[in-house]
Amino acid sequence: MATNRKYWKGLEELKETPEFIQQRDQEFMTNTGVEEFLGDDQLKETSTARRDFLKFLGFSVAAATVAACEAPVVKAVPYVNKPEDVTPGKATWYASTYYDGVSYANILVKTREGRPIFVKGNRDFGFTHGSVNPQIIGSVLSLYDGERVQFATIDGENTATATVDGEIKDGLAKIKAKGGKVVLLSNTLASPSTYAAIAEFKNSLGSLNEEGMAAGASFDHIQYDAVSYAGMRKANEATIGKSIIPDYDFSKAKTIVSFGADFLTSWLLPTQFTPQYLVNRNPDNDWMSKHYQFESNMSITGSNADERFMIKPSQEGAVLAALIKACGGNVSGVSGEVPASVSADVIAAVAKNLKAGNGLVVSGSNNVGIQSLVNKLNHIIGAYTSIININNPINLFQSEDGKMMDLMKNITAGKAPDAIIFYGVNPVYSSPNGAALAEAIGKVGLTISLSQFADETAVNCKYIVPDHHALEAWNDYAPKANEYAIAQPTIRPLFDSAPAQESFLVWAGVAQRGGKDSRVVFDFMQKTWAANGFADETAFDSFWNTTIHNSALSLTAEVPSQPEFSDGGVNSAIKSLPQGGDVEIVLYQKAAIGNGANAANPWLQEMPDPISKVTWDNYITMNPVDMERDGYSTRIDQEHAASTATVTVGEVSLTLPVYPAPGQALDTVGIALGYGRGENGEAIGKAAYQTKEFGGYATDENGKKQTIGKNAFRLIDTANGTMEYTVAGSVKSAGGTYPIATTQIHQTVMGRNSIVRETTFDIYKNRSKDAYNPDWKLMKIDENGHHVKAPIEEFDLWDAHPVEHIGHRWGMTIDLSSCIGCGSCLVACQSENNVPVVGKDEVRRGREMHWLRLDRYYASEQEATVGQRKDKDTFSYSKAERAADNPKVVHQPMMCHHCNHAPCETVCPVAATTHSNEGLNQMTYNRCIGTRYCANNCPYKVRRFNWFNYPSYKKFSEVNPAQDELGRMVLNPDVTVRTRGVMEKCSFCVQKIQEGKLTAKKEMRPVKDGDVTTACSDACPSNAIIVGDWNDVNSMVRSSSEDNRAYQALEEIGVKPNIWYKVKVRNEQNDLLAEIQEKSEEKHSHNGHGEHEAHDDHGHDHGTEQEH
Amino acid sequence: MHKESAIREPLILGHKTYHQITEDVCKPIEDKAPRMWYILFSIAAIIGLYGVGCILYLLGTGIGTWGLNKTVGWAWDITNFVWWVGIGHAGTLISAVLLLFRQKWRMAINRSAEAMTIFAVFMAGLFPLIHMGRIWVAYWVLPLPNQFGSLWVNFNSPLLWDVFAISTYLSVSLVFWYIGLIPDFATIRDRVKKPVPKKMYSMLSFGWSGRAKHWNRFELVSLVLAGVATPLVFSVHSIVSFDFATSVIPGWHTTIFPPYFVAGAVFSGFAMVQTLMLVMRKAMKLEAYIHTKHVEYMNIVIMVTGSIVGTAYITELFISWYSGVEYEAYAFINRATGPYWWAYWAMMTCNVISPQLMWFKKLRRSLLFTFIISIVVNIGMWFERFVIIVTSVHRDYLPSSWSMFYPTHIDIGVFVGTIGLFFVFFLLFARFFPVLALNEVKTILKSSGESFKNDQAHSPAYSLADQHLAFKVTHHDDHSHGETATHVEAEKVDEPKSEAPTENQLDGKIDLLLAAIGKADESSKDDLKLLNGLGPAMETKLNEIGIYTFAQLAKMTKTEYDLLDELIDARGRAEKDDWAGQANDLMNNNEN
Repeated sequence: MATNRKYWKGLEELKETPEFIQQRDQEFMTNTGVEEFLGDDQLKETSTARRDFLKFLGFSVAAATVAACEAPVVKAVPYVNKPEDVTPGKATWYASTYYDGVSYANILVKTREGRPIFVKGNRDFGFTHGSVNPQIIGSVLSLYDGERVQFATIDGENTATATVDGEIKDGLAKIKAKGGKVVLLSNTLASPSTYAAIAEFKNSLGSLNEEGMAAGASFDHIQYDAVSYAGMRKANEATIGKSIIPDYDFSKAKTIVSFGADFLTSWLLPTQFTPQYLVNRNPDNDWMSKHYQFESNMSITGSNADERFMIKPSQEGAVLAALIKACGGNVSGVSGEVPASVSADVIAAVAKNLKAGNGLVVSGSNNVGIQSLVNKLNHIIGAYTSIININNPINLFQSEDGKMMDLMKNITAGKAPDAIIFYGVNPVYSSPNGAALAEAIGKVGLTISLSQFADETAVNCKYIVPDHHALEAWNDYAPKANEYAIAQPTIRPLFDSAPAQESFLVWAGVAQRGGKDSRVVFDFMQKTWAANGFADETAFDSFWNTTIHNSALSLTAEVPSQPEFSDGGVNSAIKSLPQGGDVEIVLYQKAAIGNGANAANPWLQEMPDPISKVTWDNYITMNPVDMERDGYSTRIDQEHAASTATVTVGEVSLTLPVYPAPGQALDTVGIALGYGRGENGEAIGKAAYQTKEFGGYATDENGKKQTIGKNAFRLIDTANGTMEYTVAGSVKSAGGTYPIATTQIHQTVMGRNSIVRETTFDIYKNRSKDAYNPDWKLMKIDENGHHVKAPIEEFDLWDAHPVEHIGHRWGMTIDLSSCIGCGSCLVACQSENNVPVVGKDEVRRGREMHWLRLDRYYASEQEATVGQRKDKDTFSYSKAERAADNPKVVHQPMMCHHCNHAPCETVCPVAATTHSNEGLNQMTYNRCIGTRYCANNCPYKVRRFNWFNYPSYKKFSEVNPAQDELGRMVLNPDVTVRTRGVMEKCSFCVQKIQEGKLTAKKEMRPVKDGDVTTACSDACPSNAIIVGDWNDVNSMVRSSSEDNRAYQALEEIGVKPNIWYKVKVRNEQNDLLAEIQEKSEEKHSHNGHGEHEAHDDHGHDHGTEQEH
Repeated sequence: MHKESAIREPLILGHKTYHQITEDVCKPIEDKAPRMWYILFSIAAIIGLYGVGCILYLLGTGIGTWGLNKTVGWAWDITNFVWWVGIGHAGTLISAVLLLFRQKWRMAINRSAEAMTIFAVFMAGLFPLIHMGRIWVAYWVLPLPNQFGSLWVNFNSPLLWDVFAISTYLSVSLVFWYIGLIPDFATIRDRVKKPVPKKMYSMLSFGWSGRAKHWNRFELVSLVLAGVATPLVFSVHSIVSFDFATSVIPGWHTTIFPPYFVAGAVFSGFAMVQTLMLVMRKAMKLEAYIHTKHVEYMNIVIMVTGSIVGTAYITELFISWYSGVEYEAYAFINRATGPYWWAYWAMMTCNVISPQLMWFKKLRRSLLFTFIISIVVNIGMWFERFVIIVTSVHRDYLPSSWSMFYPTHIDIGVFVGTIGLFFVFFLLFARFFPVLALNEVKTILKSSGESFKNDQAHSPAYSLADQHLAFKVTHHDDHSHGETATHVEAEKVDEPKSEAPTENQLDGKIDLLLAAIGKADESSKDDLKLLNGLGPAMETKLNEIGIYTFAQLAKMTKTEYDLLDELIDARGRAEKDDWAGQANDLMNNNEN
C-alpha cells in the first residue's frame, strides 16, 4: 500500500503558514544591523542562564588550555641562495689566533651555518701546538653575550657611529688646536697592524718637532695589563741590560724550580710552556725532568710538581739566596729566613740538580728584587745559554706599571690629559685605586672606550665605540720576536660594533667606516704586512693566503746567548724584597676566570677550580691547620656554609668566605683576582652576578645586584713601583657564614688503590709492573681442584657484548702523568655537547651537569702517596678523610667509562641506555623515563640527571645560555638539548665518531687514528687523552691501553670499561712508597701455584685479591 | 554445631550471639559517624591534600624540588616506597598464609589488615610513579605493543620486575579482599533501609544470596586466592630487594636481601596492623573480637621477624668484614660511624632492641606497650630503608663523588602527605566497609572455651575484666530506669573470682537453671535493675536464687525462662522483655 506520508519540521511547515512560506523562499535571514542590534534595549535585560554560563566558562577554559598546550612555532628560515662556503649540516673550520691580553694560542674555530660554536687549539701551525686553556675554549660563548654594547653610544645613548665619529674628531681637533694631550691606555696589544694604526692616529694628532716642542697634540700610548709582569722587565733591565721578557724553553729543562710561577696555567705563556714541560714528563723517556715548586698557594703547577714546598712570599728571597749560595754564587743583603720545611738537605739537593745542567728557575713574583735573584741564579746555573733566550723575547705583557701609576695619580690629582682612549683595559676594575679613577674620570675632557661591554670603565666614559669580538675581527699578532699570527673573523659582526683599528684610522682621517662588511682593517693589515717585508711583492698574494690559512708564521728564532750579567743590578734591586707580616696574602688567577675579563661567561664560572673544586665564587684559601687554629669551619657542603673572614691590607678590606686549601703555606692566604666584577651593576653580562634560589638576581639592601666574589685587585701592593701580587696584611674572622658551591666535598681517595695509581720514576724504571700496577687476580679452582689465582678477565657473569675484534670498539686512555688538571677538557665538553649551566645554587646541591669532571685527590697523612696506604694495620678511615697539610695531588678526568658490562644498562626498565656494537654505552634521551636507577648503579657516578627543564625553567634564565635568544646560537646543532627528567652523560662525542666514520667512508678507506677525536681529547693541552678504535691493533689507543702503566679504574668490580688510565709517575724520592711497591712485587712473584697467603692479611684481601 | 572447648582460650570474648556479631560490625556503618571520625578524617584529608599539592608542584617543576643530587639519585622517594610496600605485607600474610595454616585468630584482623595492605600498596605505588623524571611516559614500563617499532621493555631490570610484582600483588590483594567482602556486603545490604545505600551495597555484593552453592564457591575461591597470594607475600619484597641486591653498589649488592627484606616487611606490616587495630578496637568497640590474645600473637610474629631482621643486620656487618672487599667494608663502617650514624643507630635501636622486649610475656600482652613498640618499629623500619638506600649510595666507590642528602620540604610534604592519604582511605574504609569479616568471625564463635567466657579462667589476660568488658554498674542518684538519668561508671574488676562453693540450699530446679546459665556470687553482682521491666523486688528474688550478673541472664533461653517462671513468679516477663538480649547489650555496654 502506497503511503503518502508527509514529513515536516515544526507545525508551521505542516500548516504552511504564510510567514513560513515567506521565510522558506528566502535563502538568508534578513540581517540585523550591528547598530540596531546593539541598540536593542531589550538585550540589556537578557541574562545568561547559570548553566549556559558554566558551559561557556568550561568551554573557554578548555579551549584556552588546549591552545596553550600547543608548542610555540619556531620559524626556520631557509637559505634561498646557498652561501658559498656554508653547507648546512657541515662544519667549516677557520684557523685563527686567540689573544685577549693574557692568553695566547693558535686556534681553530668550528662554525656551523655561519656561527662559531667551538674553539680548539691548532695542532698543525703555530708555536702553541694546539695547546689551549679553558678561557680560550670558553671564549666562543662570550661572542653571543646579549649584553655586549650593540651600538656606539654617547653618554649611554645609542647613537649612529658616524655621529660619534664626528664628535670625537671634533673633540680631537680642538685638543690638537690647543696642543693638549691625548692618552691611549690599552692592554699589551702585541699586534703590528694595530701599532701601525695607532701610529697613524698619533701622526694625525701632530708630532714633536726637532726642538721637542709639540706641534699639535701630544700623544702617549700606555700599555697596561691587569696582571703585570713589569717587575720582570725591570729586573732584566737591571741585571742583563735589556727590558724584555725572554723566551723560555721548558722542553730543554732537566730541573725546574718554580717559585710560585703557575706556568701551566697563568704565568706568561702557559699554552707554550705546557706542551714543552710535558716533553720531559713522559716516564717512558730515558730521563724525566725534576720539578720543584716553592709556593704559598697550591697552584695547578704546584699540584703537578715532583716536590713541593710551602713557603711564604717573604721567604722567597731567602730561599733564592740560599740556592744561589749552594750553587756557588754569593749574594748579600737578603733578609728573611729559610723556612724549616726547606731544610739544608733540600737546598743542597735542589742546588745539585740545578748545577747538573739544564736547570731553570722561574718565579711568579712581580717584585724586581725577587726577579733579580732569579736572574742571578739562572745566570749561575747557565740557564741563559740553553733554556732562557733573551734574543727572542716575548712581546706580550709590556705593562708599564710606573707610567700607569703616574697617569692614575695625575687623573685623580686633577692633572688629567685632555683625552683618554681606553682600549682592551678596564682600569676602574683592575687597578688598585680604580675606585678613585672612576670618580676622577669625569675630569678628563674627552673619554672614549672601545670596550665591548659597558664595563666599569666604559660606563664612566662619554663615548663608547664598541670593538668587535675577537671572533668577528681581523687582527694580527707578534707574540714573540720570531712569531707572527693572524686572527680572522669567523662570523659577520652581530652588532653595530667597529673594530678598534678602524676607529683609529677613521679618527686619524685616513679611512672611512665600512659598516659590517668593512675591509678597512683587512686592507690595512695586508698593507702593513707587505710594508714590513714579509715577502716580496710578486709572491705576496700566495704568501698572504698561506699565512691566513695557517694563521701563523714562524721565523727562525735567534739562538740564546749569555747576557752580560750585572751583579750591581741585583744588589740594588734586592732592597725592595717583599716584607713579611702577620699574614701574607697571595693574589692569584684562577684557571677559568683569570683576570676577570670573562667573569660573565657561565661556562667558566661553573668550571670548578682545578684545585679547590669551587664554582661561582672567590674565597680566601687557608690551610686547614690555620683554619682550625682560628676557628673557621672546615666542613663545607650543601647545608654547611663556610665561615667568613675579613682580609685587611692598609685601608682596604674584603670580607670573603674561608675555604680549606691543603698545601697553603701556614700564615698565608690566597685570594683569586677576577671576581667582584660589576660593583655598580654594570651590564657586563647576565651571568656576572649572584642569583637567587628561584631565579632572579640576589640584591643587597640597596637593591644593587650582588657581585660574585670581591675585587682583589684593590689589594695590589704598589709600594715598590710595580704591581705586586703578594702583600702583608691581616685576616680576622668576620663571624658570618656564606654558602659555597663545590663539586667535590670529599678531598681524599681514602686509601683506595684501584682508582688512582701512582709511582715514582725510580720504581717505574727499575721494577716490574707488579710493583706499581699489579693486576687484579681472583681465586678459582682449577681442573686439579687446586685454588689458583686467575686474571680478572676469566670471570664473567654473562657473555660479553661482542665488540672485540668485530668492527670498531671505541676506547680511550688517559695518562695521569700528563694530565695537569687544567680543566680545558671540561669546558670543551660543555661546549661541544650543549651541557647545561645550572648556576651556583644547583652546584651547591650537588647537581652540576658536567659530563666530564676532574676529580682531584689529595693524599692524606695515612697514605704514602695518593691511594697508597702507608700501613694497612694502622690505617684509619677517619684520619684518611683529612688531607695532609702539604698533600700530593692527583687530577683524574672522569667521564662515562662505556663499560662493556655496564651496570647502568641492565637496570634501566625501558632500555633507554644500551650498548652499541661499537662498544659505546648509549643514552636514548627520548626513551628515558627518568628513574635514575642507572645513575645510582654507576660506580663512576658520571650520569647526570635533568632535575629541571634547564632550557626554560626560570631559575636558570640568568645562567644558562640556552635560555637566551643569542646565547642559544652557541649550541651545537649535532647534539640534542635534553629535556627535563631524562638522564644524560658522556657519549664519547658520538657525533664526532659518526663524522669521523663518514669522512673515512667518503674517502673509501678504513677509519684510521685521528679520524675520531672527542672534544676533550681535542682540547687537552697535554695530549693526555687518546681516543681511537681499540679493535684497530695499530691504533695509538690500543698500544697505549696495553702499556705497563695502563689500568682500569675499579677494574675488580668487573664492569669492563673502555677507558684506561695510566699510572702517574712522579720523579721523586719516596721511600715509603718504594717499600710498599717492592713488597707488592715480591708478593706477586712468589705465588701463582695455589699456595697463597691470603690468611695472613685476613680482612683486606679476601674476595678480590690484589697484590699490593 | 561446634562443641566448645573447655580449655582453649576464646577467640571471641563475651557471650556473643550471631546476631550480636552482625550488630557489632554493622553498627558503625549504619549509624551516624561519631564526631571523632569527622575530626580525624579532616586532619587526614588536610595532610593528604598538602601531600597532593607537593606532588603537583613536583610534577610541574621537576625532580629537582626534592633534595636528590648527582650521587644520591634515590632517597626519600624509594625509602617511602619500600616502607609502604613493607607495611603492605601483613595483610596478605594474615589473610593468605594464615588461612592456609588454619590460624583462626586471623579472622578478627584480616579484613582491616588487608584493607591496610591495599592502601599501603597504593601509597607505595605512588612513589615509583612520581619519582620518574617523566611521569607522562610512565606507561613505557609496561610491555605494551607500541608504535615505536620493536621497542620493548628491559626484562633484565629489577625495576621492571618491580612493576610486575607490585601490580600483581596489588591486584591479587584487591581481589582477595573484595571476595571476602561480598557476603558481608550482602549482610549490610539486607539490613540497610535507605534506598541509596541499599542500591550501593547490593551492587557491591554481586547478588549474593547465601545459598550453599555460593558459600561453596566462596570457600573455593578464597582457598585458591590464598594459594596464589601466598607466594606473592614472599616474592614482592624479594623483588623489591632485587632493586638493590642486583646492583653493584656496596651496601646494596647483598645476597641476604630477599629473606631479610621479607622478614622486615612482615615485621613492619604487623607493627602497622598493631597500630591501627589497637586504635580501631577501642574506637569501634571491638574489644571482644580483637583482644590481648590477638595482640600477643601478632607480637610474637613481630618478635620473630624482628629477630630475623636483627640477625640479618649482624650478618651484613660480619660479611662486610669477612669478604675483605674494601668498598663493602667501608660502606658499613660509614653507616655506623659516618655522617648518617644517627640513622643507623636509630634503625638498630628500633628494630633490633625493641622487638626483643617481646620475650617478656607481660610486655607483649600490654596494649599500651604494644602500641608504642608498633610505632617504634615502623620508625625503625623507615630508617632501615633510608640507611640502605642513602648511606650506601652517598659514599660509594669514588670519594670524589661522595655527597650528602638533605631533604627539602617537598620530600617531607610528599611523605607526610601519603600518611594522610593512607588514613583518609582507612577512615573511609572503617566508615563504610565491614571492618570485621563478620561472616568468617561467626564461624569461630562457638570454638571458644566456655570457662573463659564465664570469666572463671585462671588466665587473667583473657578475662572479660581485662578487656574492660565487665562492668560494675552503680546508680549514683536515683533509681529511675530512664536512660538519660542513668550514670554508668565502669570500673575494672581487679581480680577474677575463683570459684566459690555456694552456701545456698538449692533445689533441683535452681541447680538446673544455674547449670545452664552459669554460677556467680554477690561480689560480681551487676545492677540487674538496669533491665527494662526488672525492678528492685525482682532483683532481690533473682539474687536469692543465685542470679547476680548480666552474663547469667544473657544465657537464658526458653527453657531457662520457663524454669525461672517456676522458681519465682516472673509471669513470663523475662521472656517478654527479652532479658537475655538486654543483658547481652548491657554487658557489651551498648547504648540501647
